[in-house]
Amino acid sequence: MEEPRIGVYVCWCGTNIAKMVDVEQVADEVSKLPHVTISKTYKYMCSDPGQELIIKDIRGHKLNRVVVAACSPRIHELTFRKAVEKAGINPYLFEMANIREQNSWVHTDRTEATSKALDLVVAAIRRVQYHEPLQKRSVNVDPATLVLGGGIAGMAAALEIANAGKQVYLVEKTDRLGGQVAKFDLTFPYLSSARQLIQPFIQRTENHPNIDLFLNTEIKEVTGYIGNFKSKVETAENGTIELNFGNIIVAVGLKPFNPTVISEYGYGQFPDVITSLEFEEMLSNGHLLTKYGKEPRNIAIIHCVGSRNKKYHEYCSRVCCMAALKFVHEIRACLSSANIFEIYADMRAYGKGHEEFYALTTHKQIIFLMYDQQESLPVIRQANRNDNCNMIIEMDEKLSGESIEVPVDMVVLMVNMEAHENVKEVVRAVGVSLCGNQFFIEKHPKLDPVATTTGGVFIVGSCQGPKDIPDSVAQARAAAARILASIAQGSVAVEVTTASVIEHLCCGCQTCIRVCPYDAISYNEEKQASEINEVLCKGCGTCGSACPAGAILSKHFTDTQILAEITGIMSMSYKGA
Amino acid sequence: MSVRLNPDLRNELVQYGIGDWNACYHCGTCTAMCPLSEEGFLFPRKKIRLMQMGLGDQLEASVEPWLCYYCGDCTTTCPRDANPGELMMSLRRFMTSRYDWTGLSKKFYTSEVWELAWIIFFAILVVLSFVIVLPSFGFHYTSELTADGGVKVNSFAPIRIIETFDWAMAIIVATLLMSNILRMYYAIIWKHTNTKVSLWVHIRELWLLIYNFMVQPKFSKCDSKGYWVSHWFLMSGYTIMFIVIVVFLPWFQTEEILPVYDPQRLLGYYATFGLLFGLFIAIVGRVKKKEVKFQFSHISDWLFLAMLTLTVITGILIHIFRINGMPMATYISYIAHMAILVPMILIEVPFSKWSHLAYRPFAVYIAQLKKNAVPR
Ligand SMILES: Cc1cc2nc3c(=O)[nH]c(=O)nc-3n(C[C@H](O)[C@H](O)[C@H](O)COP(=O)(O)OP(=O)(O)OC[C@H]3O[C@@H](n4cnc5c(N)ncnc54)[C@H](O)[C@@H]3O)c2cc1C
Ligand code: SF4
Ligand code: SF4
Ligand code: SF4
Ligand code: SF4
Ligand code: SF4
Repeated sequence: MEEPRIGVYVCWCGTNIAKMVDVEQVADEVSKLPHVTISKTYKYMCSDPGQELIIKDIRGHKLNRVVVAACSPRIHELTFRKAVEKAGINPYLFEMANIREQNSWVHTDRTEATSKALDLVVAAIRRVQYHEPLQKRSVNVDPATLVLGGGIAGMAAALEIANAGKQVYLVEKTDRLGGQVAKFDLTFPYLSSARQLIQPFIQRTENHPNIDLFLNTEIKEVTGYIGNFKSKVETAENGTIELNFGNIIVAVGLKPFNPTVISEYGYGQFPDVITSLEFEEMLSNGHLLTKYGKEPRNIAIIHCVGSRNKKYHEYCSRVCCMAALKFVHEIRACLSSANIFEIYADMRAYGKGHEEFYALTTHKQIIFLMYDQQESLPVIRQANRNDNCNMIIEMDEKLSGESIEVPVDMVVLMVNMEAHENVKEVVRAVGVSLCGNQFFIEKHPKLDPVATTTGGVFIVGSCQGPKDIPDSVAQARAAAARILASIAQGSVAVEVTTASVIEHLCCGCQTCIRVCPYDAISYNEEKQASEINEVLCKGCGTCGSACPAGAILSKHFTDTQILAEITGIMSMSYKGA
Repeated sequence: MSVRLNPDLRNELVQYGIGDWNACYHCGTCTAMCPLSEEGFLFPRKKIRLMQMGLGDQLEASVEPWLCYYCGDCTTTCPRDANPGELMMSLRRFMTSRYDWTGLSKKFYTSEVWELAWIIFFAILVVLSFVIVLPSFGFHYTSELTADGGVKVNSFAPIRIIETFDWAMAIIVATLLMSNILRMYYAIIWKHTNTKVSLWVHIRELWLLIYNFMVQPKFSKCDSKGYWVSHWFLMSGYTIMFIVIVVFLPWFQTEEILPVYDPQRLLGYYATFGLLFGLFIAIVGRVKKKEVKFQFSHISDWLFLAMLTLTVITGILIHIFRINGMPMATYISYIAHMAILVPMILIEVPFSKWSHLAYRPFAVYIAQLKKNAVPR
């Protein structure tokens, strides 16, 4: 190994760091350490002149290692890696010490903070001496895409990709396309026809030359990694066929909650207590009648059924408030004098055109009644002969403080939308994770809402969280754009700081295989040792810490590097002047 | 105990002037803004809720609508233009018809034809009495003048008979009003079997009745434009006129022309001025529609103003014609005056807008009783 020549750069971050840390003193102190060729401070290290300074020094002083003491590496590690690369050294021969978030921002004693900053910088200096150059890697991308789920989101994504001339395999569990939207009559907030929305989509999907459609099909297993996935599907005509694809879009949607478990509502017991989706079908069929074949005179619509309630689901299903208002318009259109009761817990009109839609609906001669989820649910009971109605809803009306009885002939339950029973199978097949509510987890909740932590797997539509049609379609098209970009590039960069097994040390216990969250490890019977697929490996380090034999080498996090860092932290017992 | 919703009630409420009864989304701004709403008597939001839900009995048992003096602060601050002030006004009409056991109030409020038909009917009765009935008893028009040149009013409008008729009318109206007020009391206080109010409290708080009738402190509390003054003039003018006509008619309706500074004439002038001033402000307000309280006029509001104005004008005319010795003009004005006054007293006072003169002070009294109610 060539003699390390380290350049250390301590950043002021304006006053963010300099106010609490004596940066000059830190730079001064570390300049005395072995291998430190040069050490400097600068007002804004990340600025262009700051980066120029480093690049010039690397060239001028023949530096081969760089340490920057500044903010969190989450913010600027990439910036500085690029800078050192520009100056001609491997970007991994760089280390960052966080003296802002972990120091100046959280401490109040300047002396102590300076001493801690020094410890952190020394640790980085020690560590960087053991850094090894790592090479960037990339893999080719298969231009075909697998789409799971033929709802509006799945079809939107499939069509977007297919229209760009790329192959799509669309796998739909049921025997028809369209998902939930195919069951609707009208859509909120503009009351446009659902059929006119979904039918052209279905036709184009079915007839598209670039879309291979697999109805009544479920994917059991997907192998491979970003750019190079494989799976098998059963077809009626051709038996089992193997599909190869570079990206996956999960658009499996949600299913309605079964309200039978809410005893208060008597679903299943009273024939005229129906779910929102059953009501949608009733409206699509054009017969708004009770089970006794009569026109209902009083219709109640109960919100938040199975939603926003600790006993069932805590989350809000997000579309049911507006769907309930949509029902008001549909009922009014055919039953002009019926009494309509909106029994709600909160009216959520968050989206574009929704508040206006709510205001419009209030003019439809409806009675809003509010209940308190925390206190009690409304209770439905059979009416008596002289009640002149089919059922009675008893409830505590929150805004009046009165206990009331609502006469009803039909009750529509705005049921929660929840994950499919078999969602775990999908999760296992494509290697992504679910949140506590069983929605697929996005890579970043704000900045990367359609990607997942598994490269090449995207989540769109309501399976990522309840949402309406526009949001579902927007996500679908966003994912398609991401995929088309990677196909256009032909290859994608993959993680460099992966793990690898030192074969002769591996005892074959397979602990690592069990702990790896990305299924990146397999056991090689021939070699009697575990093997890590470096394309699948995310470099999380779990296996490295679990391996009882010390047989796993986590690149950029080797034992030597970590121990050097620890020794560095412990080495200085600097107590400031 | 649960109460059954009555969705049909809203159709009835609409007839009392309730427009967009569903605009309110219960933010509570109005209640927070209302200068008269207080702990235990929160309005207008909660009353709007009862209206939306069609809980008629609960509404009937509310004293709150009478505690609102329609300053309009709630309406100007409502973020949804739900017009809570006018909703409270409409509720008062609804409640007036609920308290009225004869059912006539409801008829008058909900059917303009009915109200007009009855007014005309009474007017015709009055005219017929003067033209046919009284002459047959020997009281008829005469062009003879008194010694000081005034018209002989008492010869065609005999004091005794007119006075008896006034008394009878007052008794009928008072009986109707009192019985309705008892019903109001029953709905608000008596029906609540879980609380009671002691007799002593009933007596102790009686002063509130008189105080509120005379001064209307609540009105002044919810008023920034000085409407309290014009309303007070109107009210005092009206009350003085009423008392003078019913109780002191022989002293008031004289044939002799008294000097201008005579208390009889002074009192008459004051009452006339009070009425005219109050009416002028109210009519201008309703025409201009600048103030929230004047923006929405139910037919009953206009009828009341029109009839009272005509009564005052004909009254003035009688006076002018009489002292100037114009018998025919006096005679006609007198008949016209009575033809408007009688239906106004018989219809407007017990059954319509005028009844508020009784309900309002009683409401303050009843609210005070409610405050002093103890669990049974
Ligand atoms: C009562 C009600 C009314 C609504 N009204 C409106 C409205 O008026 N306007 C509006 O914008 N939104 C409305 N929505 C929301 C709308 O339903 C959703 O936004 C939309 O359905 C989301 O589409 P999606 O494709 O994500 O999911 P889905 O429509 O659920 O489609 C998912 C598809 O994936 C399939 N699938 C499931 N599992 C698998 C698997 N393992 N493998 C393969 N395929 C699978 C399903 O069979 C289905 O075809 C309403 C929702 C409800 C509940
Ligand atoms: S959208 Fe409305 S009805 Fe649906 S869960 Fe949320 S609050 Fe309840
Ligand atoms: S945990 Fe270590 S020893 Fe065990 S199989 Fe994995 S690499 Fe080999
Ligand atoms: S580092 Fe993490 S992702 Fe890579 S093989 Fe080990 S456990 Fe799996
Ligand atoms: S009337 Fe207006 S201010 Fe009052 S609660 Fe309703 S919306 Fe709010
Ligand atoms: S009009 Fe005035 S007094 Fe009446 S409720 Fe509104 S704010 Fe209160």
